[in-house]
Amino acid sequence: MRVFLILFSALLINNYVFIRFLGICPFLGVSKKLDTAVGMGFAATFVLVMSSVITWFVNKLLVVSGLEFLRTVSFILVIATFVQFIEFVIKKNSPALYEALGIYLPLITTNCIILGVAILNAQAKYGLLEAIFHALGAGLGFLLALVIFAGIRERLELYELPKPFEGLPIALILASIISMAFMGFQGLIKL
Amino acid sequence: MLIVYSTLLMTILGFAFGTFLAYAAKKFEVKEDPRVELVKAALPGANCGACGYAGCEAFAKAIVAGKVTPDMCTPGKAAGVAEKIKEILKQNAAS
Repeated sequence: MRVFLILFSALLINNYVFIRFLGICPFLGVSKKLDTAVGMGFAATFVLVMSSVITWFVNKLLVVSGLEFLRTVSFILVIATFVQFIEFVIKKNSPALYEALGIYLPLITTNCIILGVAILNAQAKYGLLEAIFHALGAGLGFLLALVIFAGIRERLELYELPKPFEGLPIALILASIISMAFMGFQGLIKL
Repeated sequence: MLIVYSTLLMTILGFAFGTFLAYAAKKFEVKEDPRVELVKAALPGANCGACGYAGCEAFAKAIVAGKVTPDMCTPGKAAGVAEKIKEILKQNAAS
């Protein structure tokens, strides 16, 4: 039961994009088209889940050997490895998606959601299963945010906007409105 | 002692992940135009973006595809990179 609480709290209540404001760079960068948004969301979810499994073990190792100060460095190493791995896989299996994601694919490495989840897992002393569900919730929350946002932005293309609002400004305004809407989820779980 | 342990740990981790990536790179290898590799080797490799592409690899791909001329590379101008690339393309054009 507790794992589902963690899953939904990472997915909706503490949505990493709209409530915690992490991972804004790819959120604004690849949300112009729905299919790249979905690709990015799943790539990030994969990296999140895999890296949180590995970082859980790495963190155990660090705690046992008393080297907790190496947490950030070693977590980044794990994340970078998985990003490189998924880059190989996407390049092989879907060259079109590889071209569309462009620079944002290697930039998953510096996506703060992934490092954030790994560090929060370590700080909250989650068990392995809880860590996986936390990462899954964060990844699906990121996917949800990207899909909602890309859907709206695709429709916005059809409308004529005032000149100063074209492009990023309207996207940021939109993000703030959706973020306010997401605050409605705060009352979802009563403790 | 702390320094030794942390160095050791990071070395082991780095080696393990490096091995994994090397294996994955072989497994998911994508066959590319061999000329792209040659052109990329001739470029300075600074990834400066002065040519208007995201990096030297993207620029090399564009050259091989015939989208741009090789003289767009600013840092390689003095070393005669453009001539070298033209030579490479001429030699390998038939293949």
